[in-house]
Amino acid sequence: MAISVISLRDVRRYYIVGDFIVRALDGVSVDIGKGDFTAIMGPSGSGKSTMMNLIGCLDTPTSGKVFIDGEDTAGLEEDDLAFLRSRKIGFVFQQFNLLGRISALENVMTPLLYAGVGPRERRLRAKDALERVGLKDRMMHRPNELSGGQKQRVAIARAIVNNPSILLADEPTGALDTKTGEQIMELFSDLNKEGRTVVLVTHNVEIGMACQQQIRIRDGKVEA
Amino acid sequence: MFWENVKLALGAMKSNKMRTILSLLGIVIGVASVVAILTLGASVNASIKGSISAGGLELVTIYPTGTSKYASTFNEAFAETLKGEVSAIQEVMPVNSHNALIRNGQNSTNGNISGVQSSFAQVLGYEVEQGSFFSMEDNISKHQVVALGSELAKELFPEGDAVGKYVSIFRNQAKSYLVVAVMESKDASLNLSYNYGAYIPYNTYTSRFMSVSSVGSYIAKIKSDQDPIAASKAITSYLDDLIGSDNYSLFSPATLSEMADQITGTFSTFLAAIAAISLLVGGIGIMNIMLVSVTERTREIGVRKAIGASPSIIMGQFITEAVVLTFVGGVIGITLGTLISYLVTSAMGWGMSISVSSYLLSAGFSMAIGLFFGWYPARKASRLDPIDALNYE
Ligand SMILES: Nc1ncnc2c1ncn2[C@@H]1O[C@H](COP(=O)(O)OP(=O)(O)OP(=O)(O)O)[C@@H](O)[C@H]1O
Ligand SMILES: [Mg+2]
Repeated sequence: MAISVISLRDVRRYYIVGDFIVRALDGVSVDIGKGDFTAIMGPSGSGKSTMMNLIGCLDTPTSGKVFIDGEDTAGLEEDDLAFLRSRKIGFVFQQFNLLGRISALENVMTPLLYAGVGPRERRLRAKDALERVGLKDRMMHRPNELSGGQKQRVAIARAIVNNPSILLADEPTGALDTKTGEQIMELFSDLNKEGRTVVLVTHNVEIGMACQQQIRIRDGKVEA
Repeated sequence: MFWENVKLALGAMKSNKMRTILSLLGIVIGVASVVAILTLGASVNASIKGSISAGGLELVTIYPTGTSKYASTFNEAFAETLKGEVSAIQEVMPVNSHNALIRNGQNSTNGNISGVQSSFAQVLGYEVEQGSFFSMEDNISKHQVVALGSELAKELFPEGDAVGKYVSIFRNQAKSYLVVAVMESKDASLNLSYNYGAYIPYNTYTSRFMSVSSVGSYIAKIKSDQDPIAASKAITSYLDDLIGSDNYSLFSPATLSEMADQITGTFSTFLAAIAAISLLVGGIGIMNIMLVSVTERTREIGVRKAIGASPSIIMGQFITEAVVLTFVGGVIGITLGTLISYLVTSAMGWGMSISVSSYLLSAGFSMAIGLFFGWYPARKASRLDPIDALNYE
């Protein structure tokens, strides 16, 4: 069996809300191999975003282990997690989450800044990434001067600019119309063909089924 | 990273101009008042010192004040004694003076008749405009010659050409003096006034103008390579031992000038310290606005963390923002403070002494305030949980 890029072992994520314990994830074990194109599906509130955040090292599990590229993330400090996110993981959000006051180009340059890349190379690589998502002519626009689809392309460029092995997208088409959504999915598919491991969350069965493999979750557990 | 953070900070400030200006007001006012107080303090000091030292810091005047008991000590020869006792002294000149009426034909006026030695003008740097100051020979031979101060010459000889003419000086009876020189105008200092003086040889004064054996005052000139304050102290301690401090008074511009330094220095430091309190209040304003900014930008912080920013990077971003904010406030405050100082000094007719140390002090202090008061909000930002921050509505 190929080495897993992402591997969850009996991962639980509980929230305490008042007198209740919310079991957002309740004993999940999954493996995602290098170059896989995986869809996470399930009803609202089933724990999809929770799982994505754990894979993306934005969150830490209540119990269980998360391995990224074979590395156990349990013992890592916040700074180490930030470093890991910076090198290995690209995030795409439903709401785009671009930084509002700066241009598309500067948005895409920011992860490189955090990764310690010099200014000249930052600019070059950010331009390449924007060209890759088909936004060469919108580089100097600010997010509020872009359409939803264009914003999501900028977000994707920002996610891939540091050449991470893992691309995570939580409902990346959720805020887009069908046609634009399809284009974005095509882009993810292309990026996957280039060798990136892509994990995305979707409610859309059609989109989910188009992916190479599916993980279905319900009530915090993986459905067989 | 630093310049990116500065750019971000300027961007944040620009995107909310009105709020930025309002939050900077405290720092601006604080810095402006510190700068204005220190600059005005330095300007007042320079103006006071200017008038104290106008006659030259190197001159020390000694006035015998005692009763007859020590009158005999203060004779003409004492000048030489004093010079011999205090090595820092270059020259001591005895001076006697008294007011008297001077007349030239129809023109008459009151002048200050001073009996001085022939070296007087040269030692004090008092220049001759016409003719030449009287000589040692004039002194020894008690010649009735006079050098006129510029104003006195103007009143007695409105048409000029005083040199070579005679004036009458009245003391019990009129005596005729040959004008040998008209002096250039020289600003009065606290201990010497020149332009209404009429200078006659010392011996002429004591034997022909007024019969006195004691000396009115001694002017001591300190060697140029010696500290005049230390020299004054040496003179004081010598005289105290000799006759006691009650029997003379000593006037030293250098010592006074030092006192003026101390007084204005203490005073403006005190005022600046009070003004610095307003800087602290300004700092609290900065902290407030930074806390608002962190809350407003919670989502942005979440995004930055998601794309790889570590807590220390976020901390750096917000600390830089606070410091840039206070630095800009400091620069505006310095400009404003300088402007105020300029307006006040020119209204009062003082020269403005720019106090560079006050600039550095207030720029540094306001940035330190940015660091101090920006630290807590920045730490708060850096500690935000990425998920909570991203989900913040
Ligand atoms: N910070 C939190 N505190 C308390 N409960 C939470 C928190 N975050 C998530 N949950 C709960 O955990 C469960 C899983 O949430 P999650 O966001 O993972 O669902 P999801 O599958 O992504 O749903 P959706 O499709 O609507 O995005 C939900 O019941 C949710 O209410
Ligand atoms: Mg979700």
